[in-house]
Amino acid sequence: MTQTFKFGFIGLVLFYVYSPIFVLMVNSVNGSRYGNKWQGFTFKWYEKLFENDALMQAAWHSLVVGITSATAATVIGTLAAVALQRYRFYGKGAVSSLVFVSMLTPDIVMAIALLILFVTLGIELGYISLLIAHITFCLPFVIISVFSRLKGLDMSVTEAARDLGANEWQVFSKIILPMILPAVASGWLLSFTLSIDDVIVSAFVTGPGYEILPLKVYSMVRVGVSPEVNAISTLLFVGSVVLIVISQLLLRYKRK
Amino acid sequence: MNMQINQFRFWAIGLATSWLALFVLVPSLMVLVTSFLTRDPDFLIRFEFSLDGWRSVFDPSFISLLWDSLSMALITACICLAIAYPFVMCLMSLPSKWRPIILFLLIVPFWTNSLVRIYAIQYLLGKKGLINDAMLGIGLIDKPLDLLYTPFAVIFGLSYILLPFMILPIYSAMEKLDLRLLDAAKDLGANAAQRLWRITLPLTLPGIVAGSLMVILPAMGMFFVADLLGGSKHALLGNVIKNQFIQTRDWPFGAALSVLMIILLSFMLWLYYRATKLSNRQGGINDSDF
Amino acid sequence: MNKWLTLAAATLMSFSAVAAEKVVLYNWADYIPDTVLKQFTKETGIEVEVATFDSNESMFAKLQLLKGKGYDLTIPTTFFIERMKRADLIQPIDKSKLTNFGNLEPNLLNQSYDPNNEYSVPYLWGSTAITVNTDEIDPKTITKWADLWKPEYKGQILLLDDVRDIFLMALKVKGFENNTRNEDEIRQAYELLVELLPNVKLFLSDSPKGPLIQGNVPMGVMWNGEAYMAQVEMDTVAYIYPEEGATLWVDSFVIPKGAANVEGAHKFIDFVLRPEIGKIIIEEIGYSTPNKATVPLLSEELRNNPMVVPPAEVLEKGSFHNDLGDANAIYEKYWQMLKQKQS
Repeated sequence: MTQTFKFGFIGLVLFYVYSPIFVLMVNSVNGSRYGNKWQGFTFKWYEKLFENDALMQAAWHSLVVGITSATAATVIGTLAAVALQRYRFYGKGAVSSLVFVSMLTPDIVMAIALLILFVTLGIELGYISLLIAHITFCLPFVIISVFSRLKGLDMSVTEAARDLGANEWQVFSKIILPMILPAVASGWLLSFTLSIDDVIVSAFVTGPGYEILPLKVYSMVRVGVSPEVNAISTLLFVGSVVLIVISQLLLRYKRK
Repeated sequence: MNMQINQFRFWAIGLATSWLALFVLVPSLMVLVTSFLTRDPDFLIRFEFSLDGWRSVFDPSFISLLWDSLSMALITACICLAIAYPFVMCLMSLPSKWRPIILFLLIVPFWTNSLVRIYAIQYLLGKKGLINDAMLGIGLIDKPLDLLYTPFAVIFGLSYILLPFMILPIYSAMEKLDLRLLDAAKDLGANAAQRLWRITLPLTLPGIVAGSLMVILPAMGMFFVADLLGGSKHALLGNVIKNQFIQTRDWPFGAALSVLMIILLSFMLWLYYRATKLSNRQGGINDSDF
Repeated sequence: MNKWLTLAAATLMSFSAVAAEKVVLYNWADYIPDTVLKQFTKETGIEVEVATFDSNESMFAKLQLLKGKGYDLTIPTTFFIERMKRADLIQPIDKSKLTNFGNLEPNLLNQSYDPNNEYSVPYLWGSTAITVNTDEIDPKTITKWADLWKPEYKGQILLLDDVRDIFLMALKVKGFENNTRNEDEIRQAYELLVELLPNVKLFLSDSPKGPLIQGNVPMGVMWNGEAYMAQVEMDTVAYIYPEEGATLWVDSFVIPKGAANVEGAHKFIDFVLRPEIGKIIIEEIGYSTPNKATVPLLSEELRNNPMVVPPAEVLEKGSFHNDLGDANAIYEKYWQMLKQKQS
């Protein structure tokens, strides 16, 4: 009885979480443009999507920005978290409060402030400015995720390694990094998720030659052109499920 | 070797510090300075000192708006908690190989653009939407309910979008929980309710607090949820700040508002750290004892 | 070997793409057909790069922060032209380079927001008026703005989330000028709008046709193009021009001060002003064309649709918004108060 109840509850929550996704998947093959009623099965929105070069290009740009900025933020953030945990240095308190300030700043404020900064520094708007902005808002999530993992670890191993003659770089790459890897991975995933969904900051800091998907989606749904957006969201959703299944299988294989 | 220590140290500290200084500290200072400047309708701001921005912040109508926005966020956090906590408890009672898979299943939908999901929710809540259709079909109601464009819809949308931010921290807190404590309590005669109230809840409190913060902070800024599900009638703090910068173009006021928001939220964070320190100390006892 | 050749060719092509002349258009989302852009490139060799914005306000803010650099053309609405001119963001347009300028409807030119069209050339225009779903509401029962206040429409109206368009309704009902700077008149309009609030279901400017099509509201105050798209979807839509006069607006091309390719921008404007290009635009985007020469090319059905080609008296009775300078703040103040009155 209680077992059924537990599975029932989990199932219910999953159903709740998936219901909007089902709606958009169904609408992506619905003949009706506004999805208010079912007007027959069709692939025409997918056909339109593949003809829409600008949208496909924006999706590609988004992937590039997402992957590069998540990776860069993970590298910088992991190093920063390790530094915050292991070293005492001047201005340490200031650095950790800056991490929180950047997390608390409203998006629109960060967007405008960064744009002014880029214009002043003469950084051309486009890929580079987007990259910098995305790294900036992803950084605190990586630092916090890695730092909380480091806090729970037994650091005496690192002392032992140092006594045995390992240098600081070796200690980091051979001992600390393997121990914090799950947190580093989740930091990367969080960053990627944030980057691929950001509209407000990107709208301000990108230039004319570099449109990205969420921006495109945002302005498209605003004028009500949603079927193609449903189609591309469905594709991305299916794509990420496939990727996860593959990575799970690989992990299992490796464990064996 | 000494040089190598220094080199790693130099990069680890230097990279993040200079990044934060250039792209966080400098912009934040610009915002702070802006809040003390004079508004100019044509050129945004004039470089003259003025307290007008701060004066408008303490206007009673904005205080009430701040309060509305905060209470909306608090309700959202309560709903997320009411779903997330039992969910994680059910999850923990499953065999451990199932847990990551279910957790993954839960997170994947949240990778779809949030705006697109909000539009999908409109189809669910609308007058001729799926929920109304279903209830009419069963005969539960005989007239469609007004679900969309109400405060209910805003809270529904916010708690939907922010649910994983509550589930993940609670999960990681619950996973650290030492099950032997619960067994010991059972042996000593504590019933299920007592075990939950006296052991599980206090020990997972840091997770609850972290989750609540991760829900409350973004909930105040998600203006598109308020616009699309609430019909732009129930402004969140995020709507107001965005309006000041884009629509009204009163930058000093917008800047003052966002500085105030950062200060308020930092204060809440500080409270959170005190809370975790306290409960860590409680947790520390059993860490050393076992 | 073959692979290397392809690679070399691809590299060469990408170089030539970089070298090609281009015009950067900063535009509303999906507000110009792809076919038009492709045809322009084919004829002139000039690439058109499109960047999108979501509101006049954010476009203005971004251009101001960039000091008018980075874009060769953009499309602000009515009084934003005046605002951009005052902020020194746009440059005069050389009409001697526009061979098709004569095609434009004179009634839409030389308006107070840009005398003699020194800085702007109309692209599309339209109105803001009342749209109803004829299944639920008899369009004959509504003839003027004041009808919206009828108590039977409780919780049934969608309003655009636009301060000026909404204040215009109340100002017109009260018999005031829609560009008034008189705080007393604005306050009276505000009080009248407070009385309208019980009838208001929602404020929405992003695709306001959506709730109408999905059956969430039976009527709304929205743009003619939105009403037209709703009609294409569900037939039972009527668009009513109120007796007091509707809001009129014109989206016009302007050339930012820091434009890199001023010459190309002129060529593009002139291209869009061709009658047959105007036809492609109207058929795909909707709204109304400012191009007199385009109208005869349209199908009879389109020509007779008052949403697409409004009757002549609409232009006479309707009014444009001007930029109000300091008085904008008064409107904003009452607008915020109005939004907060909602519970």
